[in-house]
Amino acid sequence: MTENQMTAWKAFRGGLWDEIPVLRLMLGLCPTMAVTTSVKGGLTMGLSVVFVLICSNVVVSMMRNLLKPHLRIMMFTLTIAAFVTIADMYLKAFQPVMSEKLGAYIPLIIVNCIIICRSEACAAKNGIWVSAVDGLAMGLGFTIVLCFLASIREILSTGCITFSETAVWTVLNPVDKGGWFTPWAAMAMPVGAFITLGLTLGAVNQLTKKKA
Amino acid sequence: MSNSIKLFFRESWLLMVSAVFFGALLAVANAAWAPKIAQNEINKFSNLAKALLPEAMKFEPLQNKDKIIIDLGDGKTAGADVRKGLDAAGNCIGWAFLAEGSGFADKIKLVVTADAGFTKLNGFGVQQCSETPGFGDKITIKNGFYQAQYKQAPAGKFTLTKIGDSKKIDSEIVAITGATVTSQAVVNIMNTYVVQIKQQLQQKKLIGQ
Repeated sequence: MTENQMTAWKAFRGGLWDEIPVLRLMLGLCPTMAVTTSVKGGLTMGLSVVFVLICSNVVVSMMRNLLKPHLRIMMFTLTIAAFVTIADMYLKAFQPVMSEKLGAYIPLIIVNCIIICRSEACAAKNGIWVSAVDGLAMGLGFTIVLCFLASIREILSTGCITFSETAVWTVLNPVDKGGWFTPWAAMAMPVGAFITLGLTLGAVNQLTKKKA
Repeated sequence: MSNSIKLFFRESWLLMVSAVFFGALLAVANAAWAPKIAQNEINKFSNLAKALLPEAMKFEPLQNKDKIIIDLGDGKTAGADVRKGLDAAGNCIGWAFLAEGSGFADKIKLVVTADAGFTKLNGFGVQQCSETPGFGDKITIKNGFYQAQYKQAPAGKFTLTKIGDSKKIDSEIVAITGATVTSQAVVNIMNTYVVQIKQQLQQKKLIGQ
């Protein structure tokens, strides 16, 4: 095993904590800011990224010995674009409401740094199994962070988490439903995303700070 | 010459093969899901229009000879999807059409309905909107104060005002606080489509003068 190669366990652990994309690698911040206004939106975005990451990692890993250095980025982009288009079409066909809600952010997965980073850093140097595990773990890590941030923002901006018209989990009883909580409209706006992400990053840095 | 062609294929064969493979994959996905995607669009239009014109049993598109062309300004034109709302007996009880224009964040698409004579609007529903949550997206609230201002409003030109009585139904629309751009965008869309569609329907003698 060369120094560039990794084990499946290392890849799995890396995606879920050591190299969790948003909080440790600082990758994928644009969709994190944009789609975390609701848990359902964050979950849909996260699962789309999981699909694209696994598929693109597997395909890149399969063709890794054939890649020409000067064409590799083009090959990565072609592969990623194909799977993102499939994910986008699937959402338009079977989850039209979420597809509209997420708007341009699903097609923009093509330029998501996490995916091209994992193609370059892992899939182009490792076997199919390790690349698939890496894609799954990185995608799940991304999804967990999106859902965590989205739950904070959605609860503070509406008082509840809405999964569908009938499935609403009320956490802080809002004033408009006869409760006491006045929703913070700012949490649904970009400022809410910056504050939530900033505080979360601070907390993670505090947790992982190495002692002298 | 032949060496350069060989070099070209040696360097790029994987890219060409991949392009063909992924192209085929996308073609298969498109063939499988395109009808469903198109049906979703039609369903959404019908659901929104039916909510505004509950008596309508179906929405029939205009015949090709009656197609409506909208002048969007700057020399641009677009075909409007205008449909006739028919009751169970086949009588025209109203009109529904898709209207679109630029919003604050992205394109806004509205389903607008009017009565049979195209004198009053029955209101609008939002087909597509990516406006700011908590502000511009208030145009999507069914029976919210903004949408309510268009119900039974005269089918003509609208103007936007920041201060006024939103309960008074007329051609003056009170803006959503903090979302003037989105409010103006909806007024602009209405002004572009409603007047032109009405005029052309009158010219084609589909409604009275």
